Amino acid sequence: MSNGRELIGASALPAARAARGGWFQREGVQGALWVAPAFLYLAFFIAYPFFMSIYLSMSNARVGSPEYHFVGVQNYTRLFADPVFWQTVRNSFVFTFGSEIIRLLIGLPLAFALNRSFKGKRFVQGLILIPFVIPIALSSLAWKWMFDSLYSVINWMLMQAHVIEYPWQWLGEPGLAMWSVIILNVWRGFPFSAVILLAGLTAVPQEVIEAAKIDGAGPFQRFHYVVVPIVRPILLVGLLYSIVFSFTDFSAVWLLTQGGPYNTTHVFGTYAYNIGINAGDIGMGAAITLFIFPFLALIVVLMLRFLRRE
Amino acid sequence: MRSVDTRRLWRRIKRDYGPYLPLSPYIFVVLFPFYWMLITAFKRDRDLYNLTTAPFWFKEAPTLDHVQLLLQGTLFLTWMKNSLVVGALVVVITLLLALPAAYALARFKFRGAQTLSTAMFLSYLIPSTLLFLPLSQLVRGLGFIDSIWALVLVYPSFTLPFCTWLLMGFVRTVPREIEESAQIDGCNRLQAFCLIIIPVIVPGIITAGIFAFTLTYQEYIYALTFVSASANKTISYGVTTDLIRGDVFYWGSLMSGALIGAVPVAVIYAFSLDHFIHGLTAGALK
Repeated sequence: MSNGRELIGASALPAARAARGGWFQREGVQGALWVAPAFLYLAFFIAYPFFMSIYLSMSNARVGSPEYHFVGVQNYTRLFADPVFWQTVRNSFVFTFGSEIIRLLIGLPLAFALNRSFKGKRFVQGLILIPFVIPIALSSLAWKWMFDSLYSVINWMLMQAHVIEYPWQWLGEPGLAMWSVIILNVWRGFPFSAVILLAGLTAVPQEVIEAAKIDGAGPFQRFHYVVVPIVRPILLVGLLYSIVFSFTDFSAVWLLTQGGPYNTTHVFGTYAYNIGINAGDIGMGAAITLFIFPFLALIVVLMLRFLRRE
Repeated sequence: MRSVDTRRLWRRIKRDYGPYLPLSPYIFVVLFPFYWMLITAFKRDRDLYNLTTAPFWFKEAPTLDHVQLLLQGTLFLTWMKNSLVVGALVVVITLLLALPAAYALARFKFRGAQTLSTAMFLSYLIPSTLLFLPLSQLVRGLGFIDSIWALVLVYPSFTLPFCTWLLMGFVRTVPREIEESAQIDGCNRLQAFCLIIIPVIVPGIITAGIFAFTLTYQEYIYALTFVSASANKTISYGVTTDLIRGDVFYWGSLMSGALIGAVPVAVIYAFSLDHFIHGLTAGALK
């Protein structure tokens, strides 16, 4: 991390610093003081609740009752015997990777379309990012209405176009409901994917490509040896972020289906809310949320590896 | 002759509309739900539930009934006020905590600085889905359950890591020499920070503030878990719960609430598009 200039910078001042104050002015002490408020806050509101949820998952805590005690791995054994939990695990992966693949397939052509200059480009870019900015809870209401069982405008359009023959129950049929929540999640997230892809595309300086061309590299070689190595870390990190946000989603699924019909759209967040808050079983709910963690840890390890390599 | 003409015409179309053609389906998909919200908000109920002909325009005169129900039959304005107050307070708290931390992590050399930066990055990835249950116990213990103060207290936990990370990037762009010359002139760390760094990174502070506000305004699960009284709800929570009574969805009012509720973020977003896109890519990629 340190480079020559920083070392010179650091050694240019010792006389002045020593003259002004003793240990209090030392960088270590100062550094600790400056970061302390933020990290104390995070320790109390992220680290502490995280460990608390591990303890809660091994307790019989319930909403509304102040006292609870340690029950060992009882919640976990109950959870492993619960078919809905396994369905939730499956759903979470289908929801996350289904959304992600479609986002990329839709986002890539969009990124290419935006990767040139034309009049009103900034305006168009602004329009396309709207779904990502508007609170998902509010825009999901529009989708719930468009997927309505009786007055779905999507059904109306598809039936007029003779794509379907009878009105589909978007939120009421098991397989279709998963598609519906994926559609909402794709709609909300593809602008982000496109912006990341676009950032990746513009990260390759034209001169580098020109230089490769002069050196005799063909289009395939230029893509393989020049574009891909530059773009890869950016895209991977953006992709991993996007995956984390889908995997830990709550509101999109909750507002469209609440996990139904027949639990076919429950993801970790919604099932944990259902058990932990609606059914009042905080211990069991905490156990469910903790299953997000191994997956998250895997993503973090991958991300840090890519960042380090960069 | 004709083939030359059509070819020329084709070339002209390609030149004038080429960049827009592939974008049009995207714009349609992005905007249609908002159009549908808008038209639903002002259609009479009978018109709303009449799908015999194309539903894309008014078949009867538009009405303000749904907006009236929203404003008079619910606590919509209170929710709006709650969201704005919580948003503003969270922005202030976030910046007060994030600015010194970002400065120290980007500038000072001390043992553990690298570890702390990584910890900051990791805490951004701990999702609210993982923390809402213990946090509900925590705010209950602190006596803040069912009040907007619970949200003011907890929301910086997701804005702070992101904003610190973002601000670190901005601090790094300030040349070290400016600060050092100020220190030689007798400024201490705090003075150098307030007089030299802060004025230079104002764009970064604005970006961080916009993000803190937007993230706060979008938050759902904490509000749903910590608050239950209607008067303490935030906008997205209130609109999505109080206009559904049993099996009855007040679609017109729901859509008008969703539209008006989205206005504050839409306005901020429209005025800060460049900051926003910069923050999005910087936050994700640095």
